[in-house]
Amino acid sequence: MSDMFNREEADRMAAEWRYIITDMICQAGSGHIGGALSLVEVMHTLYFRSMHVDPDNPADPTRDRLVLSKGHAAPVLYVALAYKGFFPANLLGTMNADGTTLPSHADARTVPGIDATTGSLGQGLSVACGMATAAKMGGGEHHIFCIIGDGETNEGQNWEAGMFAAHNDLDNLVAITDYNKLQIDGFTDDVLSLEPLADKWRAFGWEVFEMDGHDWDDINCTIEKAKAVEGKPAMILAHTIKGKGCCKVENTAGSHNIKVPDQEAYDGFMGALDVQDVTLPY
Amino acid sequence: MSDLHNQEMRAVYAATLNELIEANPNVVCLEADLSKASGTNPAVLEAHPDHFVNAGVAEANMIGIGAGLAIEGKIPFCATFSCFASRRVYDQIYLSVAYAGMNVKIVATSPGITQGPNGGTHMDFQDLAAMRVMPNLHVYSPCDVYELRAMMRHMATNVQPTYMQLVRPKVTPLFDDSYTFDPEKAVRVREGGDVTLVSTGYMTSFALETAEALAADGVSVELLHYPSIKPFDASALIASARKTGGVVTVENQSIIGGLGGAVCEVLSEGLPTPVKRLGIPDQFGEVATEEYLFDKHGFGPAHIAAACREMAAAK
Repeated sequence: MSDMFNREEADRMAAEWRYIITDMICQAGSGHIGGALSLVEVMHTLYFRSMHVDPDNPADPTRDRLVLSKGHAAPVLYVALAYKGFFPANLLGTMNADGTTLPSHADARTVPGIDATTGSLGQGLSVACGMATAAKMGGGEHHIFCIIGDGETNEGQNWEAGMFAAHNDLDNLVAITDYNKLQIDGFTDDVLSLEPLADKWRAFGWEVFEMDGHDWDDINCTIEKAKAVEGKPAMILAHTIKGKGCCKVENTAGSHNIKVPDQEAYDGFMGALDVQDVTLPY
Repeated sequence: MSDLHNQEMRAVYAATLNELIEANPNVVCLEADLSKASGTNPAVLEAHPDHFVNAGVAEANMIGIGAGLAIEGKIPFCATFSCFASRRVYDQIYLSVAYAGMNVKIVATSPGITQGPNGGTHMDFQDLAAMRVMPNLHVYSPCDVYELRAMMRHMATNVQPTYMQLVRPKVTPLFDDSYTFDPEKAVRVREGGDVTLVSTGYMTSFALETAEALAADGVSVELLHYPSIKPFDASALIASARKTGGVVTVENQSIIGGLGGAVCEVLSEGLPTPVKRLGIPDQFGEVATEEYLFDKHGFGPAHIAAACREMAAAK
């Protein structure tokens, strides 16, 4: 898969995804744009290079799994799944509309390809531990990926799961922290400092990696290294920029959830994107 | 008489779990450092160490792990004290289990006053009320070893997020090996015409003892036992209330929102009928004997008898 990687295509797709994500959120009138835009390259790499998944067989028992514990970043997951072929891309325009199957938070009940329903922060890493435990019981060779937010890391349940995963040698579990340094109320350093975050996970018994979460090669190499870890779980701190690609909100706490009440606001967000020549799939 | 008859409830919980694991290797025993209290250590741990997961003192993580196991087709039975199984992990059960539709079985040990010497910090009088308002969650409370075993067999073979109370010590058996469990059905333990007595879980053996004593005094009590608080068998209640004209409820729980609350909801809309609710009023628990707490809060056999007499006489 990785040998088919084309950087220009990937750059183009990332720009399209950012345009579509922003439009989906703007059309919905509000949404969590910052933490979706920060994950574009990571999500693209997972679904187009790292993970073995089959859109024609979403329940394939041999597939790799992903738990998007920061469920509010669902728009980037929905776009990835649509591009991968799990459902028609024209559905993307229905996010948060009355009766939608694409709600604001990741929903495995209604969206093909999603492995776990999330939204209340702190629960996904535990769920991923359960999935990894099941694989160990059943001899599955697949990996379970779990993306948590940096603000989400404030939740103590992550650290319960952290102890459990290390104690049980869950080396089929690869967690990725979207470390964009911002949470709802401000910078993580100001709200509730996480540092030294890498040392904390190491102290909990995890193999820890750090990567530039917007650098294609760094992301791909780091995920491959994390998958190869034996005897313990792996944590990747993905250094990212919240709201990346939309200069109106980039690296601001306000990007966590934007309100788009009117055309002027819509034009402001869409006009702030790096790339404009994108045809929406809906 | 069956081997079960004189066993502790927790011993039957563990033995049944072993039976279920042997019948279906997808069944998994989850604990949060209370495995000896639940009865699964050493019984399940030694018999099936590969099906035993201890999350440590981390109940929220245990529920999440249960949800993850269920995603992969496992059938996890997650046990801990009821105070932790409900109020401590309410959001985890809500989102990762009920909302997500995960086939997780939550086993809430030592409900209500059966927490005994652990006292008010650990006594949970709210779990039937709190859990039954959660969509897509069945809520059970078995009254004896036979019902417990039948209930667990049902749970293991039906895909349904479920919360089950589990009294740990011996309780007086009502049923026998022939008992079958249907969550849609109340059990008419005793037929009567003067008053309907409704109970669940731990209080049903006291309710039966009281009903039998009242019969000798000329008060005919119809005893309905509800092994399932949700789903709730409304038609059995309405039929009985139509016959007797008065209902007394008794539960090892707060009188707000639990069994008594469910009874009042059904009757107020289906057949308005006088109801007297017995249980714990809007108060916390405390370290005390069962007799003391029965007397203090007015829901022991003597109080059940008085309430039934009063209800029968008021018609």
